Amino acid sequence: MRTKKKMSRIRINPVVLILINVIAPSMYILINGKYLQYFLLVFASFVLILMRRFKRLAGMLVIYGIMIGIYSITIQDDRTKFIGLFLVVLAQSVPCLVLASVLVSKYNSAELLAALETMRIPRVMVVAVTITLKYIPTFAREFTLIKESMRLRGIDFTLKKPIRSFKYFVVPQLFRCAALAEEVTAAGMVKGIDAPVRRSSYFEERVRWSDAMIMAIFVIGLAGGIVWHTRL
Amino acid sequence: MAHTPVIKAEGLSFKYNESKEGIFDVNFEINQGEAVLITGNSGSGKSTILKCLNKLIPTITEGELKGKLFINGEDYDSVKMYALNKKVGSVFQNPRSQFFTENSTAELVFPMENYGTDKEEMGRKLDELKKDFNLGKMMGRDIFTLSSGERQMLALASSLTMNQKVLIFDEPSANLDYGNAMRLGRLIDKLKHNGYTIIVADHRFYYLNGIIDKVFFMEQGKLTSFASEEEFKNSGYDTRSFDIFSLNIPFTGAAESKDSVVAELKDVSYKEILKNVNLKLHKHEVVGLVGSNGAGKTTLARLLCESNKPDGGKVVKGSLPFFIMQDPDYQLFGTSVDNELSLVKNDAKRIAECVDYLGLKPYRYKHPFDLSGGQKQRLQIAMALICDRDLIIFDEPTSGLDVYSMQRVSDEIVKLKEKSSVLVISHDYEFLRHVADRIVYLNDKTIEDDFILNKENVNRLNAIFGKMAEETA
Repeated sequence: MRTKKKMSRIRINPVVLILINVIAPSMYILINGKYLQYFLLVFASFVLILMRRFKRLAGMLVIYGIMIGIYSITIQDDRTKFIGLFLVVLAQSVPCLVLASVLVSKYNSAELLAALETMRIPRVMVVAVTITLKYIPTFAREFTLIKESMRLRGIDFTLKKPIRSFKYFVVPQLFRCAALAEEVTAAGMVKGIDAPVRRSSYFEERVRWSDAMIMAIFVIGLAGGIVWHTRL
Repeated sequence: MAHTPVIKAEGLSFKYNESKEGIFDVNFEINQGEAVLITGNSGSGKSTILKCLNKLIPTITEGELKGKLFINGEDYDSVKMYALNKKVGSVFQNPRSQFFTENSTAELVFPMENYGTDKEEMGRKLDELKKDFNLGKMMGRDIFTLSSGERQMLALASSLTMNQKVLIFDEPSANLDYGNAMRLGRLIDKLKHNGYTIIVADHRFYYLNGIIDKVFFMEQGKLTSFASEEEFKNSGYDTRSFDIFSLNIPFTGAAESKDSVVAELKDVSYKEILKNVNLKLHKHEVVGLVGSNGAGKTTLARLLCESNKPDGGKVVKGSLPFFIMQDPDYQLFGTSVDNELSLVKNDAKRIAECVDYLGLKPYRYKHPFDLSGGQKQRLQIAMALICDRDLIIFDEPTSGLDVYSMQRVSDEIVKLKEKSSVLVISHDYEFLRHVADRIVYLNDKTIEDDFILNKENVNRLNAIFGKMAEETA
């Protein structure tokens, strides 16, 4: 039963997700904003359904809905307009951010490394990007720890003194970040990350039919947008 | 054919930038199949030697390097880092940052991928490592969900993926409980007999008793070489750490406490970790909480701190305990040592006294993150000394400390009990013998033993450690 469930979950090649995340935001230059916004929302929902990430899909739609809701209310009045305009810009990035979050949380750094490598990006870039991506879950974990130890120390995060509270959060993180960067680099170096040979990959995935189809739908959608845009 | 040592150092010196520390005119030879212990206090240069051996010096760490190093007769200068690390496997000290990926399988194939090994070969090697290191249960898992013993195995296995024949360990015992450290000792012995050359830098070495062929003793960057374990033991240096159970440490002389109870667990259960735990902690008492990694020691502490809520039973206590975690970096928020302490309690007189007592006076205006590991810990102890909490909890306060620093921390913890109750989670036998008035042994989800640590009961503590070692056998 379990295997059947796994089978029906489509596994998307990380390269596809990376490409979509690189291409999509830059398309706002070429394509009508509204069209692209709706297309990306529908497209991201479609990808999430294929990957069976229903919780994330629901989360995305709720956040998006709230943002657009606030937009439609605040836009009515000149005094609150700025909030709506700010949110509508933010809302545009929601689909991409959700796809990026899937990329970071559902693929391990070895898979990402392999994906970036197949895209023929220089090694230095690949390593830098991988370390950055790897830092995101670490950051989340350390954030919880710092919050906990603030509670135990009796240092509260209060809105009365937002800057000071923020400082307590951020300063330890910065120090951890610097130390971690050095340690992770060392961990990579002693394991041959600088070897001047083409990296092989244990996790390398062939481009499947499903990947090609997703890419095709994405490109057709964008092309449609460009055509529509020029016609108008 | 002339005999060539696997590793040879000739007049090796390294001085860190902006620091007086380093190693000076170090000479040694290491032959194939030898197990070498590099020991000495913190900051004596042990790690510096290891970093030279895997070429992190001069590749990443900057400073002034002089002298020569050879591997199988070949000059280190002419060997590239990636080529060298196919011969030398490194196992680091920090459990968090020694892994490059976050998945155990990914971590094992990571070096092979870097060297362009093809997929079939990777699969074959993976099977071999799985068998040799008994990794079956841990494949494909998130590394953060592994126990410290499992992580150690993984680190060791991943450092051998390229068939390295020289293995270096930086303080491997720092994060291991007694049982896992003893298992590591047995593994090192086995590897040695299979022809591997092993170099271990550590200031605790009880788990290597009877395994070592050579000892390099470091003192302020200078190396003294001993040709055998025996010679080292007879040298007059402090080698008591070889046999921790024979240590003659006076007992604290505590009796059954009649002081007030500051915290109590009544029939507490939590998930599948703790079942019906009952415990009373008294004022003026140091309780040592022992048990294997994963026995629930930290969970128990978290329950006392209200970080976790019990599923059943009750936690009774006055004020929130002061919890000193293993990693001080998460717990320091101030802009200077003085400021950090004033965040705990704004009492200039008390702060001045504490800073003075703990030897932190020269650093009063330094940023807490600029302090060394030992100084950070002393700062935390200073915080505990001035706080008004009834219970102070330490989580593994001596992991990574040399014997001298451990003894110092012990004295400070004993001082703390003048005003509070102290609970220390520890797997450091020697440290427990110094500080604990009472031992609480957590095993199989419950408190299996609870006794006053004195001459009559010391065998019970020894038996607990013996049992922890057996569990990993």
